[in-house]
Amino acid sequence: MERSEFHKSSEAFEIVTIGCVLFGILLVLYLIRGLLTPFIIAFIITFFLSPAVDYMEREGLDRTLAVVLLVLLTLIILFILWKLTWSMIQTEITSFQKNAPFYISKIRDSLEHAMKLLEKKMGIVPEGTMQKAMQQKIGDLISSAGNLGFLFKTVRDFTVTLVLTQVIVFFLLKDGRRIRKALIAYVPNKYFETFLNLIHEIDKQISNYIRGQLTSAFFVGVLAIATLYFFGINYAIFIGAVAGIANIVPYIGPLLVLTFGGLLVLIDTGSTITMLKAVGILAFVKLLDSIAISPLAVGRRVHVHPLMVIVVISVGGLLHGMWGMLLSVPLYCSMRVSLRILYRGFVEYGNW
Amino acid sequence: MTKRNRLKTLLKKIRGKEGNIIPVLRTVPIFEGLTFRDLRKIELIVHERTFMPDEVVFYERQPGTGMYFVKKGLIRLTKTTNGERVKIAELGEGEFFGEMSLLEEYPRSAQATAVVKTEALGIFRPDLLDLIKRHPRLGSKILMRLSKRLANRLRKTTEMKVKEAE
Repeated sequence: MERSEFHKSSEAFEIVTIGCVLFGILLVLYLIRGLLTPFIIAFIITFFLSPAVDYMEREGLDRTLAVVLLVLLTLIILFILWKLTWSMIQTEITSFQKNAPFYISKIRDSLEHAMKLLEKKMGIVPEGTMQKAMQQKIGDLISSAGNLGFLFKTVRDFTVTLVLTQVIVFFLLKDGRRIRKALIAYVPNKYFETFLNLIHEIDKQISNYIRGQLTSAFFVGVLAIATLYFFGINYAIFIGAVAGIANIVPYIGPLLVLTFGGLLVLIDTGSTITMLKAVGILAFVKLLDSIAISPLAVGRRVHVHPLMVIVVISVGGLLHGMWGMLLSVPLYCSMRVSLRILYRGFVEYGNW
Repeated sequence: MTKRNRLKTLLKKIRGKEGNIIPVLRTVPIFEGLTFRDLRKIELIVHERTFMPDEVVFYERQPGTGMYFVKKGLIRLTKTTNGERVKIAELGEGEFFGEMSLLEEYPRSAQATAVVKTEALGIFRPDLLDLIKRHPRLGSKILMRLSKRLANRLRKTTEMKVKEAE
């Protein structure tokens, strides 16, 4: 009798301990959330680059040498790209700087007009309240954008993040397996095999998803830039790059880009035809991605129902903004596969 | 010290110490004859686990993920027959068990329990598949040895069954 009671209480103690450890990890992650950005970016880059390192290793190259070569190669490619596109980027920045006040005043005028209409239709809000709030917001935006200290801080933070990310990527690519092995050494024997399986399945799900999405985003970005530039649309690089990045977020990202790109072109040129041309190009590139690029690049990706993807991304965006939208689908897939493994291990085999 | 010895010492220094896992791996039949470089790659996917007396390594019917080598200590394999737990074998230093789970996820056919404080090395299927993908040549060597061992076991079982039938 004592034995079974002892077992029950020790199991309860185990569950409470695991719960406390998980809660502790989450708490620490929450407290250092400000420092997590370079780590998250580094993890994403590592997932994307690791097949290349694995390939070089398979061909007989030492892993450290393979990682060094890959990092060098990436830096060289980035440098060449920078050199090739810098003059175009500079032209876009100069043009944007010159036209920014005009764009802002145009946006302000249209928003003011919309607010006036809204206030009139609603009738409850005192006239001018919404307009004032909006003017305040736009004023803040202009002053912060023109603030030299703010710009300097942004550039400094970006450089620090970039350097830190590179260092983390190097060590994750080189010693990722050792780090993982050292971490899972702390898992109790009872859960070790289940945990190991879980880690591998989650790794497979996340890496397939990230690789697929990044490859697809890269092609969408390059295609959009080339096509917009070919058709003489202003800010081709900027809009194309945003289209590529936004393509990482399924369904919602491309829709946002269509709206954003169309609005920017409309404000810039004032021509509805040019705006329609830009929207048409972006829609065509997305269509091409859905027909030809995604099935190849994201072919092995985990299958989730489109409706579920939209729900998951919306919840992610609601909880954690941009990062939430980007990471919600792989997190959802990881949770799904974890529950499947845990269910099979603990419920089907009765091994809790 | 002769030139040759000096060269040997230098090479040993370059390739690093063997540690405490590689000597154990050398004694395992499925890793027999593998080079130091190969064993270093396998060492990366080996997990060291310590089991206390009476601690269960894995339960019967639990989905199996990998095999274990006894580095130090004693493991008892038992099976439930007609509601009773029957001892099948006791495995000591250098012996291994659970190798079938390396090839396929299948419920464990027996329960493994540590008799005394036991140190074991575990290799698990996801890691092995990953190793095979990265180092196909080494992977095929391991799989060949594993297949030979399983073929031997199958041959013995068949012979036993034939004898029983006679």
